[in-house]
Amino acid sequence: MSFIKAHIETLATSRRNFLLGSAAGLGATALPGFRPALADAHGPTMAWSYRNRSNPYWNAIASGGEAFVKSLGADPEELVHLINEGSSEKSLADVVALLAKTNGNLALAIDANDGPNGRPVVEAVAEAGGYVCTIWNKTADLHPWDFGDNYVAHASWSSVDPADKSARIVFDAMGGKGRVVGLGGIASNPPAIERQQGMMNALKDYPDIELLDYQPANWDTQKAAEVMGSFLTRFGDIDGVICASDTMAFGALEALRGEGLVGQTKVGGYDGTKQAVELILKGEMSTTVDTNPFWAGGALLSLAWHAAIGAFKPSEEPQEHREFFGPSIIISEADAADFKANYIDSTPEYDWTDFWGPTTPAL
Amino acid sequence: MALSDTTSSLAGAPGSGIYREAIVKWAPLLVLLVLIAFFAIMEPRFLSVRNFARIGISSAPALMVAIGVTFIIIMGSIDLSMEGTVSVSAILFAFAFLALGGTLASWAWLAVPMALIAGGFIGFLNGLIHIKLKIPSFMASLAMGFVGTGFALLLTGGDRIRIEDELFRSLLTVRWLNFPIMCYVALLFVLIAWFIQSRTTLGRNFYAVGGGEELAHASGLNVNRVRLMGFMLAGIFYAVGALLAVGRIGIAETATGNNFMFVSITSVVVGGTALWGGIGGVWNTVVGVLIVNVINNGMVVIGLPGWLQDGVLGLLVIAAVVLSTDRKSVSFVK
Repeated sequence: MSFIKAHIETLATSRRNFLLGSAAGLGATALPGFRPALADAHGPTMAWSYRNRSNPYWNAIASGGEAFVKSLGADPEELVHLINEGSSEKSLADVVALLAKTNGNLALAIDANDGPNGRPVVEAVAEAGGYVCTIWNKTADLHPWDFGDNYVAHASWSSVDPADKSARIVFDAMGGKGRVVGLGGIASNPPAIERQQGMMNALKDYPDIELLDYQPANWDTQKAAEVMGSFLTRFGDIDGVICASDTMAFGALEALRGEGLVGQTKVGGYDGTKQAVELILKGEMSTTVDTNPFWAGGALLSLAWHAAIGAFKPSEEPQEHREFFGPSIIISEADAADFKANYIDSTPEYDWTDFWGPTTPAL
Repeated sequence: MALSDTTSSLAGAPGSGIYREAIVKWAPLLVLLVLIAFFAIMEPRFLSVRNFARIGISSAPALMVAIGVTFIIIMGSIDLSMEGTVSVSAILFAFAFLALGGTLASWAWLAVPMALIAGGFIGFLNGLIHIKLKIPSFMASLAMGFVGTGFALLLTGGDRIRIEDELFRSLLTVRWLNFPIMCYVALLFVLIAWFIQSRTTLGRNFYAVGGGEELAHASGLNVNRVRLMGFMLAGIFYAVGALLAVGRIGIAETATGNNFMFVSITSVVVGGTALWGGIGGVWNTVVGVLIVNVINNGMVVIGLPGWLQDGVLGLLVIAAVVLSTDRKSVSFVK
């Protein structure tokens, strides 16, 4: 599993393979030149708009944003947090208010809360002359390249390919043969659909593995434990269970623990949570997938900020630099220790100008 | 002569009346047996001891929560705070357990009574708000449930806390006669609840309040005090449910309380305890929880597709309520 090592090396050596596209004159030597401008009180206001900080995912996003602000030599508290608490109306109203306050001198990264809210947010920012990056929520017809430079980029995460790869880790741990069951998220959620699809794709290459059943457990630990118990009644011996989230993997694992089957039945999760990584190290789980929200929090804000100060011109970038899938890290037993050391026990040092460096293949 | 007339009218009319009463009394159990027979015919493995143990594991935490709310429903009130109470109790237990040593073999066992006290205290607050501010129990408890969930989130910051002590986890991992210890713990608390219901003044007062609050009040009963005690008792049972839920999955988190509201209220009603109060009891709830969990387990065991399960569960619950509650005495439903 050299994937992780290669990934970490890529970050550590700060390779700027895609750095700023063709923006010549913006090499490493030019970067220190920006720093005084950042500390300058007249630089653009930086803001992250998201749901709230009590959720580990959004907390990591916000921390990444603060790390970027700090990397500019500024006080992390200068980052403005617009908390929408799951309300699209509040999300838009906060953005409009901040645009008015800053006269449009704003670098904003935002999850617009739902798809339809993406357009009014982007239009408001573009009209005021600010710069915005979006993640996750936007409609399919909304594209950064339709707004000149002001809508800098959009990032989301596809689960299909990572779910495919992580399912293969479980199948390999089963010795490439046997009987497997699946626990999915809420059936109508896009990540739930994508993660099931990824597993189905991987299954095609394993003719000796039989998928007994795939049932939704609604991302819920207790429900997953109950469904897994029922699976054990119905099928008897089960060699592997693929779960669309770590929360459900924990439930499946405890159902197995009640039957003394931990370690025998291989368990795969998703989301790269700390506990899942620790369970992989203990040999109780086989894999999980991390989407690196900390990187997303810094990188998206960095893109908006660098566009706002004119460090690069978004409209000169290719489309795959403006709408892209963020990076996913597949963690297995072989690299769980590395991942824990580099991503959980410490925070990687990112080069926030290497915007597209660590991402998986673009759209 | 007058005396015998009174007794005969108290006992109910002979013949069809007694027959009907017996059916009403045993209907929930019949529903449960029919369901078990149905799933067993569809898939013989449903009938194995190991599967009953699995149903027991999934029922135990929900049973404790459902018994707690049974007392409230008997009084004709409702308590919707269980999700928040379960989460807070579970998290406080986990924090205390880890802080005091992290294994039942140390002072950490104190975390168990502390969790029960926490649950009782939340129930007490719940009842106090309901009585003193004169807010309907529906609204007061729903609001307290949100406060509880919010408080749980504040405590954990969205993190989950793992309890890995093997002694505590023996609730799930150690089996006596094929059933894990948590099933026996649940049974013990069912017996305690049954004792409270049938052998204590408090238990009888719950029925008095539910059967006719004005009458109970006019007879000199301190109705508010009974209500307060009821909510406290419910809170303690929610905390027991929280402990079993943590024992089952080894994790305490804000989401520990999820789904308990639907499962517990449904179970109580399916078991034949009437939402208008005064009718039903602990054993009805035991049967109700088993009905809901047998349906949930059975649907997966017979291989019903996932997208059908929620709909089928809803229909089966309606059917079970129709079959197991006595609606003849009710002139209107609100």
